Parts: sequence; C-alpha cells; structure tokens
Amino acid sequence: MGFSNKELLRADWQWVGLQNYVTLFKDEHFLSALGNTFVFVVGTVPITTILALGMALLVNRKFRGRGIFRAGYFFPSITSMVVIALIFQELYRRDGYVAMLATMIGLTPPEYGFLIDKSTALYSIMAMDIWMSVGYYMLIFLAGLKSIPDELYEAARMQGASFFHQLRYITIPILRPVALFIIVINSIKSFQVFVEIYVMTGGKSDTMSMVYFVYENGVTKAFQFGYASAAAIILFAIIGVFSIMQFSILKRREPIW
Amino acid sequence: MVTYWLKTLLKYVGLTAILAVMLFPLVWMIRVAFLPSSSGSVTLTSLFASSFTFENFTYLFVTGSIGRDLFNSAFVAIVVTAGNILFCFMVAYVLARQPNVWTKLLFGSVLVVLMIPAHILIVPLYSLMTSDMMPIHDTYYALILPWLVYPIGIFLVKQYIESLPTSMEEAARIDGASELRIICQVVMPLCKPVLAVLAIQVFFTNWNSLLFPLILTSSEHLRTLPVGLSHYGSDEWAPLQHKMAGATIAVIPVLILFIILQRRIVSGITAGAVKQ
Repeated sequence: MGFSNKELLRADWQWVGLQNYVTLFKDEHFLSALGNTFVFVVGTVPITTILALGMALLVNRKFRGRGIFRAGYFFPSITSMVVIALIFQELYRRDGYVAMLATMIGLTPPEYGFLIDKSTALYSIMAMDIWMSVGYYMLIFLAGLKSIPDELYEAARMQGASFFHQLRYITIPILRPVALFIIVINSIKSFQVFVEIYVMTGGKSDTMSMVYFVYENGVTKAFQFGYASAAAIILFAIIGVFSIMQFSILKRREPIW
Repeated sequence: MVTYWLKTLLKYVGLTAILAVMLFPLVWMIRVAFLPSSSGSVTLTSLFASSFTFENFTYLFVTGSIGRDLFNSAFVAIVVTAGNILFCFMVAYVLARQPNVWTKLLFGSVLVVLMIPAHILIVPLYSLMTSDMMPIHDTYYALILPWLVYPIGIFLVKQYIESLPTSMEEAARIDGASELRIICQVVMPLCKPVLAVLAIQVFFTNWNSLLFPLILTSSEHLRTLPVGLSHYGSDEWAPLQHKMAGATIAVIPVLILFIILQRRIVSGITAGAVKQ
C-alpha cells in the first residue's frame, strides 16, 4: 500500500512508485515526527538502562524489606500507560507538583504548564516514560545479576578490590549481553511511542511521533492509506534493524548469560 | 560499628526515597479518586484533606458508562487470553514434534511475523476491516480476531515443548493412548508453566492496550477501559476526581493480579529475556 495512492472511499487507486516517499521527506510534519521519535529513543533508552542497572544493584543483595522495594519499583511498569499518562498530565500542569518542585530548586516552570510549552513537552513525556519503564528493566538486570557467582566477588574482595573496581571488572562485563538485550527491546518499544502522546498532548506542542503520524494521516483525519503506509514502512525499516538484533539474541539456544 | 549503622540508615533512606518517587503518582491518583468532586479543583494540599467519599465511583458506574467499558475490557482480554493458550499450544506442538519441510516453513513464517512490529498494521487492519472483504470494523470481532495468536507465544511454547523429554509421550503411545489424549493429558499439563507465563503477558497486554481498540471500534458500547479513560481524559470539563476514579478502577485488577501472581509475572519477564 505504501507504493499506491489508496484512500478511503477511493476505488480507482493505482501504483505511484516512490512518489509517497518523496512527498514524505518534503512534509515538515513527517520530518518533525521522525526527529521527535529519534530524540525520544536516544533520550530515554540510555537513561532507562543506566537507572535500571543502578536500581538493580541497590536491591540485589539480601536485606530486610527487599521484596517490598522490588515490587514497588516494578509495579508502575505493569499498569496501563493511559492511567499513567492521565496522572502525569495533572502533575505536569502549571500549578502541579512538578512545577512546584522546579520552583523549589530555583527553576522557572513554563508559564502554561510543561505539556503546552513546546520546549518542554517532549522531554516531560520522556521523563514519564523513563519513570514508568525503569522497574521492568531493573527486573531483567536482577535476573542477570543472579547468575554471577559469589565466588568472583569474594576473590576480588580478598585481593582488595573496591566496590567500583568490582563493578567495573566483574558486574558490567558479565551484564553486557543483558544490557544489549535491554537496549534493543527498549529501542523497538520506544520507536513505537504513541499512547502517552495521544493522551497527553494529542501530537501538539511539537510532540508528534512516527506512529502518531501514521495514525493521524491514515485512520483519523485524512484517511490517506497509501501515504500513511509509506510512513509506516519507513518506521518498519528502522525497527527492522533492531528486530534482527533481538532475533539473533533470542535465537541462541543457551541462556544469554 | 557506628559507620555500619550509618551506612545501613543511608541505604534505607535512599531506597525509600526512590520508592516514594515510584509510588507517589499512584498514591496521589487513589487519594484524588476519593475526594468529593464538589470540593472544586484539586490543589497541591488536597493530598492531606480529610474528606473521603465513594461518590466518584458511583457516578462513573451509574451516570457514566464505565461498567460497560470494564465488561468489554474483561471480556476481550479473557477471550484473547484463552484463544492464545489454545492456539499457540496447538501450533507449537505440531511445530515442535513433527519437524518436516512444511512445519519448518511455517515456523519460518512465524519468525518473520514476529519481527514485524504491530504498529505497522494500523492502516492495513483498518482498511481491511472497513472494506467489503471482511467488514468487521466496530464489532467485538475487530477487538478479538487480530490477537488470537501471538507469534511470540508460538515461539515460547515451541521452545518449551522441545525442551521436554519425549519419553513420556512414547510411553503413552505404547500404552495405546490416542494422539489427542497424549496432547491433552500428557503434553498440556507439562506445559502449564509456560502457558501461565503466556496467559499473564497476553492478558496484561490486552487489558492495557489503547491504540487498536481506538482505531478498530467507534461505538460507545464497544469501548474498552483504556479508550473510555482517554475520552474522559480529553474532556476538559470532567472533574479530575472522576478521571482519577476511572484510572483507579483500571489499576485495581492489575494490582490484584500482581499481588496474587507476582512470582509468575517476574519469572515470565525474565523467561522472555533468558530463553532457557
């Protein structure tokens, strides 16, 4: 469909070759959607991975109440994105808690709220996304940490290695495949960001994403099936690279760590 | 000794601070859901107000249509989950136990579909369902049919069945059990752990999904909970207390399932990652 001019209620559609793609790369809405999606992925994925690793290290060792902390950190990630987006919509208002916190540390919050100001809207949504998904990846890191034998740390301690040395030379190298896996699946998920944008800004204030573009041009406002499909195919091509990586990780028969 | 206690104290302070950040939005949601909507707009100090009421919930169920939304969500999620358990298992069994050219070809195509992100299907699904070929747009079929078999489910169950020893099936076969009986009474019970993992993942995915219900239905009586909530959310005039009560209703089943099935959920997530 990406190579046709098919539209709803249009019977005489035909192949138009690469024309949709040429138009897409001249369409400033599409280019901004492409740019925003890349900002979203590049901004959220590394921060989420690092925070998830940090949290996993914090709750890895046995201590009293560990289960409560683990469950509490993890719980937001299995709730509905719609619910989370509704809550944060309120928190991000100009008189909401986030604005209050910003004022407390000496920043000036945007006049009409974080989601209306074009310079903060996308970053606010990204921060929420990190908050929500970090517990999920923490859990995957924890599974990886469980596989590191204690003897390694004991040996390192006997030789006088500090906590950071142990982290640098034992934990991180062993967790590398896990981290790779997390980065890949999180990227695939983040390239398809839609729900939070639909609920929180409706694609306004410079937050249009690729999937939102497909949604808006394909099945709501314009019903340009061919044009929207072309955009979807570009997204597919980008995600395809990551999918192949994920697939090659999954296909290994032995556990990846 | 003193430094040890100090360290422990610091650790707990840090841990609790993170916990507060992670749970505050949800606590706030539940608090606001129980504030009377007549008390006007919610302010920063409402968190500490003493008023407490169920009126937002009764409003949503009596005047609003959230009961219907809740039913739709539950109905669709349960049917889809049951379908996935049945169909993924059936396909996976054949793929795992009868390797020949055709099943290998079929498994290859499953892997190809696995690599296609669902969001690519927005336009094709919509245009298919509004065409004469398969006019099921805006029916329950539109919510259920596309998701009855998840390729990742076939993949997971197939890997699991392959890891099972064949000796039990052979023993049953020698004792004269029919193929159907072997499947139902030998293989399926052995697959319980992986089917539970699959069921949980499918249920949560479906319960929380917004995009496809939004596109593939338009009538109010087919709204699922996330679609209904996003409608309340975009209504500027709806009081915040009602929105948060609706959000709380959507979270409660997840919370209950999480408490009951915590162990299985956790092992499911790591199973997807570890592939043992």
